[in-house]
Amino acid sequence: MKMRVKLYGTLSERFPGYQHAQGMEIEIPDGATAKELLALLGISESQGAVVIAEGRVLKADDQMRCGVPVSVLQSIGGG
Amino acid sequence: MKLIRVNMSEKTIRVEDVPQDYVGLGGRGLTSIMINAEVPPKCDPLGPENKLIFAPGFLSGTPLPNTSRISVGAKSPLTGGIKESNAGGTVAAALGRLGITAVIVEGQAPAGELYFLRIDEKGNASLIPAQEYKGMRTYQFVGKILESYGKRTSVLCIGPAGEARLAAASIQSSDADGHPFRAAGRGGLGAVMGAKGLKALIVDQRGRSPDPLADPDTFKEAAKAVTKIVKADHMNAEVMPKLGTAGLVAPVNSMGAFPSFNARKGVLDGWEKICGETMAELIQKRGGNPTHRGCDQCIIHCSNVFVDKEGKYVTSSLEYETIWAMGGMTGIADLDTIARLDNLCDDIGVDTMSTGVAIAVAMDAGYRQFGDAEAAIEMVEEIGQGTEFGRILGSGPAAVGRHFNHPRVPVVKGQSIAAYDPRAMLGHGVTFATSPMGADHTAGNVVGAYLQGMLDPLNPQGQMETSRFLQIAMAAFDTMGQCFMASVALLSPEGFEAFGKVIGAKLGTQLGPGDFPEGMGIRVLKAEREFNRKAGFTKQDDRLPRFFYEEPLPPHNTVFVISDGELDSTFDF
Repeated sequence: MKMRVKLYGTLSERFPGYQHAQGMEIEIPDGATAKELLALLGISESQGAVVIAEGRVLKADDQMRCGVPVSVLQSIGGG
Repeated sequence: MKLIRVNMSEKTIRVEDVPQDYVGLGGRGLTSIMINAEVPPKCDPLGPENKLIFAPGFLSGTPLPNTSRISVGAKSPLTGGIKESNAGGTVAAALGRLGITAVIVEGQAPAGELYFLRIDEKGNASLIPAQEYKGMRTYQFVGKILESYGKRTSVLCIGPAGEARLAAASIQSSDADGHPFRAAGRGGLGAVMGAKGLKALIVDQRGRSPDPLADPDTFKEAAKAVTKIVKADHMNAEVMPKLGTAGLVAPVNSMGAFPSFNARKGVLDGWEKICGETMAELIQKRGGNPTHRGCDQCIIHCSNVFVDKEGKYVTSSLEYETIWAMGGMTGIADLDTIARLDNLCDDIGVDTMSTGVAIAVAMDAGYRQFGDAEAAIEMVEEIGQGTEFGRILGSGPAAVGRHFNHPRVPVVKGQSIAAYDPRAMLGHGVTFATSPMGADHTAGNVVGAYLQGMLDPLNPQGQMETSRFLQIAMAAFDTMGQCFMASVALLSPEGFEAFGKVIGAKLGTQLGPGDFPEGMGIRVLKAEREFNRKAGFTKQDDRLPRFFYEEPLPPHNTVFVISDGELDSTFDF
């Protein structure tokens, strides 16, 4: 399925030409999990990436839902 | 290891050895334990019985990076309770290099008199009349002081708001470039300084008499281990240098917990215009500096220099909490306006958080429209001008709420909440309600636990325990002078162990299990809570304002659901 993804923190650096306003559209297998999405995007665990959809932080095994855009961010401990 | 006691009534300066009870303490631990021991809890915060204590962290001035945090403590005119407000910059390391454990300001100069306290490179302190600087804003003041005493001078000072003894007045701290933009903003300690008749504390940075390290070799090794952990953390290695704390705008809005329009919504319309990613891009494009070193001995560089369209300096550093208070709460999704407001607050010497929330309360009460940038700037200017409304605004959100008879005032113990709505991040509600400091953004910040998936922000389970753990840990780190960012990276058994070794190597003793952070943090919190109890605080003061329990916050449409009983068990020790 096609999915709209927005990247935050420093995560967009690996995607030349990425525009914040639009985000990007990617193709993922139906039922792909948050963990699989990160792997597909080539984001390593050490970057502290977090997938958020509909205001909730997804667990590694939570599945992506068709038509629901996600944000991929990096965890921050406060400020 | 010496204490410098300055009596503003008698204009005397006394140097004392540090009593045995205080050995191993610095920063927040020292200010809070001393205030609890020496300040009458029911005293007038702006009277001669209150004491204003400046204490570098226990590790400030040592070679350990990220330790240039100064704690300022007193009874707060904003909360009526004990207060520690800490700031970065250069002054903590400067005091540490002189072996000065604390500067304690007592008494009160006669009305109308103004002084600054200067500590030279030998550590000698003198009070110098400062009449010519009366009413001066902080940027101009620091410029003049650096002209007189040289660039290697650290300055902690107040602006017109502190001199006017306004309850949201800050104490501004000069950075590595000599700009007074770091702030001990919370709790109105600038007003205490103004009431003492003290315009500034000025410290020569060239001191070479730090307290000796008991075991320098072990210290070096232990410091290396701590630095390795801090550097390995993605937040400190990647996010902070690129985006600074503004990197939080995206996650907190994405989680629906960014209090907006005076906490009527959890997502700000147009938040992407003011997020860290947009800010960094704009700064880069205009020729500012998105990766700035604001504090002495910093290896993280979370600061930035924000410039206007012409590339001219506007402010430094634009931080998450300021962007929220001046942008989210007021509905002003414009970085140029927020930067201007930040600069004004630093220059006048008021807390950006309390002031932004105070503006939002005024807007919510119908005084001006949400989103009116010009009105917000005019309002803050009024604080500097000392108009009647400016004095109300500079006294914080609760004063504004009383003025307009408006009930939606997001404060606890008189101090505004921070940039995390307690209805969508329940653990923050626990910290806001129970911290002896009043609502606070560093005392027990839970957002990391949510983002790391350790805790569901909307499920009451585990919120109190997480807040308790973090409040204890941060009270201990604040005692050491360690910056918040580095401390967050050390919140693990390995981090605590490595950090404990650094403390032990300075002290010459080995810390036992449970000494750090638990033992130290609990000792500090107990002193703070004891002071507040004696000042008249009860369980009822450990509550959030009613509307957080009653008004659902969009988009999750949830309210604060942690019970009073659970709040009261936070400090069951």
